Amino acid sequence: MLTFIVRRLLITLPMMLVISFLVYLGLELTPGDAVSHMIDPEVANEVTPEQLAQLRAAYGLDKSFIERYGIWLVNIVQGNFGHSLSGGVSISAIVLDRLPATLELSVFALLFSTLIGCVLGTISALRRGSATDSTLTVVGMLGVSIPEFFFGLVAILIFALHLNWLPVGGRLMPGDESFIDHLPNIILPGIVLSLMMTAGVMRYSRSAMLDSLSREFIRTARSKGLPEWRINLVHGFRVALTPVVVLIGFRLPTLIGGSVIIEEVFQWPGVGSEFIEAVRGSDYPLVMSIALMSVFAVLMASLIVDVLTALIDPRVRLG
Amino acid sequence: MKKFLAMALATAVSLSSTYAWADRANQLSDERVRQAIAYAIDMDTIVATLFEGKAIVADSMIPNGGYKADGLERYGYDPEKARALLKDAGWDDGQVLDVVYYYGDQLTADLMVALQAYLGDVGIKMTYRKLEGDVGGQLNALPDSGSNTSAVKWDIAYGAKAALALQEYYNGYLSGKSSYTPGDADRDALIGRINGTVDVAVQKEAFKDFERYENKVLSDIPLYYQQLFIYESKRMSRNGGQYGNDQFTYDWNIVNWTAEPNDKGKKVLYTNTAPSQFFDHPWLNPGIYVFSKIGLDHLLTADGSLAPAGGQLAESYSVSDDGMSVTFDMRDGLTWHDGKPLTVADVTWSIETAKTVPGINGVFANTFDSIKDMSVDGDKLTINFSTLDPNMLLTFSQFAPLPKHLLEGLNPAEFQQHPFWQNPVGSGPFKIAEVQMNDFVRFVPFENYHGGVAKVEEIVAFPSGENDGNVIKNASAGRLDFGFTKSVADVKSLEEMEHMRVIPADIPYTRSLRINKFANISE
Repeated sequence: MLTFIVRRLLITLPMMLVISFLVYLGLELTPGDAVSHMIDPEVANEVTPEQLAQLRAAYGLDKSFIERYGIWLVNIVQGNFGHSLSGGVSISAIVLDRLPATLELSVFALLFSTLIGCVLGTISALRRGSATDSTLTVVGMLGVSIPEFFFGLVAILIFALHLNWLPVGGRLMPGDESFIDHLPNIILPGIVLSLMMTAGVMRYSRSAMLDSLSREFIRTARSKGLPEWRINLVHGFRVALTPVVVLIGFRLPTLIGGSVIIEEVFQWPGVGSEFIEAVRGSDYPLVMSIALMSVFAVLMASLIVDVLTALIDPRVRLG
Repeated sequence: MKKFLAMALATAVSLSSTYAWADRANQLSDERVRQAIAYAIDMDTIVATLFEGKAIVADSMIPNGGYKADGLERYGYDPEKARALLKDAGWDDGQVLDVVYYYGDQLTADLMVALQAYLGDVGIKMTYRKLEGDVGGQLNALPDSGSNTSAVKWDIAYGAKAALALQEYYNGYLSGKSSYTPGDADRDALIGRINGTVDVAVQKEAFKDFERYENKVLSDIPLYYQQLFIYESKRMSRNGGQYGNDQFTYDWNIVNWTAEPNDKGKKVLYTNTAPSQFFDHPWLNPGIYVFSKIGLDHLLTADGSLAPAGGQLAESYSVSDDGMSVTFDMRDGLTWHDGKPLTVADVTWSIETAKTVPGINGVFANTFDSIKDMSVDGDKLTINFSTLDPNMLLTFSQFAPLPKHLLEGLNPAEFQQHPFWQNPVGSGPFKIAEVQMNDFVRFVPFENYHGGVAKVEEIVAFPSGENDGNVIKNASAGRLDFGFTKSVADVKSLEEMEHMRVIPADIPYTRSLRINKFANISE
């Protein structure tokens, strides 16, 4: 397994190089640059071409695409992520500022959705064809088909504006000094994000559990006279976990990349909303850094899924 | 056969490249066509329906008021007249006009649909597209000097002019400065008359003559005046403080504002336009963001219509009779929020620095470019001008001096990127107490403010740009006590909230169709 992990980690480097080049190329092909986004179209006629050239030179935008990519790459290798073009803030500072917000939300949602999704999916499978199963199936279908922004707005309308139980959005308010202080702020976005994820986990775990319960080893376990709870939870559930782990594993990158829509709806200052702003403003050092982080997270998630799958299901061999 | 095919291919390539590079003749250079377009659009209906009455139909680029000429042709909806004018002009109804815009809102898209229908009804076909990328370059690229071919590729551009000074509406038409209006000596002379005086009565007449001229030639087809809507919660009171053009700074009398105490007994007000990554510097948009409004003072103050209304950092000021010199007498004992003295040296440094920063406000740039020299005598600053600038006082009521001791030595091209803009130090009635970047900024009264200490104990600002997408949500939740919007949809919702009031303000902000009038348009 160690050889497998080392080999996968080594493959990660060239993959990140290729993907970073493609992202950089994509940015290059989008119309305009950071300077053209900094100047409001309504005052752009008051900026002289010389001033524009001065600005582009100051941000290194006067160099060729390959030169800029090379400089960026050398800096990254040296651990220098550079500065945001729009505000001059170091990218590491921006990421360190935004990442805790994203992690709070994502970890909350991931844990909540995994726990609730697995429990409901298992119940649904064990009571196949019952009213409970039908209800949970309908809820699951609604969960995966209704857009999360809609859920978010409805939740704000009911719980923040009508019932006045929770804040409408934002992460911190003046006077919040600890995690407990701003816990009320995370509940709505966290639960809305969780609900969307829960629906998926529930659907996956239900079908995996049904598949698992129809296998021969379950019949064998029953014939041995094992108690039903042990058959279902120890033997059936363990095998059913494999596809669920794959699904959850591929959601790990959202821990880093954030959920753009939920962050926008709930004014949550995470990495996702920063990324969108950076793309809108052609702030290429910031876009590249966040993209690279996300790529790394996806590759690592893939590795973790492979390792976990092998651990859960002894029939899977890494190679 | 091969030879024939090669020749045919060469001819086809040659022809296609010839056509691809050919300029196309522009019928919009005929003023009858422009007038026909104006007559073809029913702006009364558009304002009543699309804008739900929250805009004013425009008959000139200049907003209604003392500078507006009487008797201008309104170009009311008259499709028959439009068709007749097009017939006279020999309009080629096979051509398709390329109309561009740069706003991303639904209202603009709806307006494009309406314009397409109205123009189609009189025989003018158009397509529309949103400009992306280097919007400024695509809108403003200038042709070679003396060329009859425009460098911009569009026929009509839908856009806006938000003017700080009324001259901004027309100075852009000066020969060699416009991407869509060819140079014209008569027009230059009319603009020269506007800019050649500080006598308000003379200037008004010059404006009116210019409007009459433009009303006929229609360099831009004015569509509507955008109103600005100031909203505030009923738990606050301005106590006589005025309402005006909130896109800029004017005397809010904010030290006398009051707020009902919250459940902890604290008088806190909430607003928006706090930063998400850095505080926007105030030398481009002097009044959009909350820090510029409450954290920075100016040499002079202005009233709601932005007319200079007395000293602010300057205790008094005087202008020479010929308007070529102004002297400011600074208040004694002024300090920055960090306690360091605020002196004439900060003002002169700020002016000198602003001259080197790319992309500052156009009115400021004109004023500073007109400066011949500055001299300091104790607390007195005298600025002499080499050319007359009728907006000089306006500039000094909007231009905020910044602390030299914190910014000296900066690279002008990276002005906005200076670390100062992470937690700036100002001179206004409120100072920054806490910055949680992208969460909130907390302001508290500046205890040494020359105008007295504010009664409101705290102002909390949440991040947003000029167009805050969370106005309704935050106002509904009691997290927005004051601000402004230009969104018609927001205004309708705010008006329905019992705890909010909305005050419309007429501002110099005109939406128009910029018509490309060059004889040819480059392809």
